[in-house]
Amino acid sequence: MNTPHTIPRPGALLLSAALLAVSACSGADPAAEPDAGGDTLRYAATGSPSTATHDPHGGVGNESDSLRFGLLYDVLAVPGDDGTTELRLAESVEPADEELVEWTITLRSDAVFSDGSPVRAADVLYSLRRIEDKAAENFGRLGMFDFAASEVVDDHTLTVVAHQPYAAAPRALEAVTFVVPEGTEDFSEPVPGSGPFLFAEGDAENAVLERNDDWWGPTPPLERVEISAVADPQARAQAVSSGQADVGSSVAPSSVAAAEEEGLQVVRRPAVTMYPFVMRLDTPPFDDPAVREAFRLAADRDQLVETVFLGYGQVGDDVIAPADPASPETEARERDVDRARELLADAGHGDGLEVVLHTTTSYPGMDTAATLYAEQLEEVGVDVEISMDPPDTYWTDVFAQEPFYTGFYGGIPFTDIATVALLSDAPTNETAWERPEWDAAFAEALSTADAQERDGILSELMLELRDEGGYVVWGTGDGIDLATDDVADLPDGPGFDKLFIDQVRLTG
Amino acid sequence: MRTAPRRSRWTRALTSVVRACALLAAVSVAVFAVSDLLPSDAVAVRAGAGATAEQLDAMRAAAGLDAPAHERYARWLAGLVTGDAGTSLVNDRPVAVLVGARLPATLTLAGAALLVAVPLTAVLAWAAGAAPPRARSWTAGAVAGLAAVPQPAFVAGLVALFSVAWGVLPPVSLVRAGGSPLDEPTLLVLPSLALAVPIAAYGAGLLGGALADARALPHVRDAELRGVPRWRIATRHVAPFLLAPALRVLAVSAGALVAATAVVETMFGYQGLGELLVSAIATRDVPVVQAVALLASAVVVAGTAAADAAAALTEPVTA
Repeated sequence: MNTPHTIPRPGALLLSAALLAVSACSGADPAAEPDAGGDTLRYAATGSPSTATHDPHGGVGNESDSLRFGLLYDVLAVPGDDGTTELRLAESVEPADEELVEWTITLRSDAVFSDGSPVRAADVLYSLRRIEDKAAENFGRLGMFDFAASEVVDDHTLTVVAHQPYAAAPRALEAVTFVVPEGTEDFSEPVPGSGPFLFAEGDAENAVLERNDDWWGPTPPLERVEISAVADPQARAQAVSSGQADVGSSVAPSSVAAAEEEGLQVVRRPAVTMYPFVMRLDTPPFDDPAVREAFRLAADRDQLVETVFLGYGQVGDDVIAPADPASPETEARERDVDRARELLADAGHGDGLEVVLHTTTSYPGMDTAATLYAEQLEEVGVDVEISMDPPDTYWTDVFAQEPFYTGFYGGIPFTDIATVALLSDAPTNETAWERPEWDAAFAEALSTADAQERDGILSELMLELRDEGGYVVWGTGDGIDLATDDVADLPDGPGFDKLFIDQVRLTG
Repeated sequence: MRTAPRRSRWTRALTSVVRACALLAAVSVAVFAVSDLLPSDAVAVRAGAGATAEQLDAMRAAAGLDAPAHERYARWLAGLVTGDAGTSLVNDRPVAVLVGARLPATLTLAGAALLVAVPLTAVLAWAAGAAPPRARSWTAGAVAGLAAVPQPAFVAGLVALFSVAWGVLPPVSLVRAGGSPLDEPTLLVLPSLALAVPIAAYGAGLLGGALADARALPHVRDAELRGVPRWRIATRHVAPFLLAPALRVLAVSAGALVAATAVVETMFGYQGLGELLVSAIATRDVPVVQAVALLASAVVVAGTAAADAAAALTEPVTA
């Protein structure tokens, strides 16, 4: 056990009781923080403490874990500004053939693990293979690659082979490719890493990291980072306002007003949360395109964004990945009650239509979104029964099963959404979107080397899905982080960008 | 003449120890059965959406979840007897490490709460059982009312008062990474009050009755009539009759306190065993649930057994 805790002695307890009494009577100011040292950042991150893990290659459902892994381990690349890929451990990721199937990754030669051994291509390939071995836990995130056919060329070069042409290979290697030493199998404790910080003390749910002075990259301004997993969004906000943390991530929009009043910093990360309504194309009444169009026209998107995200978000127009660089320019989709009624009447539902809309409380506002949308649907003559399902079983029993439910996407790129949920053979094709021509065009896009040309094809695919698919994307919510005013350079990009906090500074 | 009652006292003490062990075994079976009956399992939680049935089966086999329930229970029990509490199904970390890391936090909190609860129980019990009649009925009502407030409502009330309205105490209690709760004792104030006050009220309700009964005993009345000083009546004539019920109330209170940590720790974001239990149930992490539930039951059962045994050895013979 590497926790330094000791069981308190009775004497210590008595002393603490006395201190309790004193602090309770003297009206101690909760904002008076203990001496944190000017170079220590305390970060209260989203995470359920009991699921906190030391294994960077599995599901990693906790942001507190991903954040820690982003400091402890090197990754091949990270998401850069404006959607480009910024290389890290990789010096280059280049196609080795015309077909874009085989890719050569060259590693920088100055990366060293905390146990002193150099980071080699074999370590990278071992880590990539381990991620693919855990596909069941991580949504098959690297499923586009065939790592059995991939190989080590020399100490700092490897080739990875995709199952099919995959022009987006560099992007696929962003963020999740945490590199550990070859052969590491026991992850019940932190393993050696080559990232900007080192594990100093604590545990997975409550960790202290110290700067790694041997890191190859720009010296992190912070000396220490403490990351705590805090499950409740309100507790994360209160941790910052009561001086127990410098940063509280992903707080509820309802915390913002009070935080601004207290002079705290509010960082907004655009298009992070999306609760689209999901309709299955293979189940009546959603097999009728007119019904789907009517359901899209029934949505009052402004009201949904205003109510669910308290305005901290953007109105959507059914484009599934609005933050993606390939996302098409579209006109706003306005509510049209009359047209929606007309479409439903023409489709044979003139005297009413009954549907069940499933939702849950996994993410804040999912239930509100469904309830409000149900009211909006009532106004076009649809009778909606809301089924409020327990979050424990929602993602196994409702998600990708029921014909009409409230879904979730967390700002992942369009190519990932397509691979997971849109291709005919996608593991969770939740809308039953099966179009061979669409699949073929997607494959063509991924074998197109020119980025602009590729984005053009992807953009067309998104448009087709927008108008004919099974999603009502009514809006996206911002990720909202609170911080004390002396924290600078917090990441504010979408998606995985927020996980890389090695260049955050304290100005106070 | 003197050996007979003593032997029976020891027999009673021994019986209560045996009963405690049997009770713990029953608790472990019950907790296991209930965890097993919950819908979904740790593998489904861990896999998330999108995993195929084959992948799920492989993960279940790797975690040993494909065996029948009685086999899994037997394996868990065998491990426990040899000192191995197993491995978390969610993050593969040893259960002993997870529990060990949380134990000091909960012990500290429970200790602080007891330090408040014990004197508070005594004061409230005196007020409810021995104070002048008017004050007595007033406090008895207040005590019963306090004891009936649901824990979450009580926590919310404390936070509303001390954190929101007066701003003197933090509304959450995050223990610093690598630190101990004793580094910042202010963090312990609200959680320990939240634990101590309702339990003290409940304990006082029980003890107040015993106090009133003791004061009505003939020899106490007799002593009062003879003009024995009040302090002497309290210490010599009443206190011996209160020792056994007080020990039992203490044991019950300690048990209730351990149970209440689940709510209080979760509401304050305090990383202790109660919070671990709540989230382990949510993720169907059966080995962790088993370990924490058994540990908590052990505290309750051992406390009650100890109180029974002590009571058996100290109870004054009235006949």
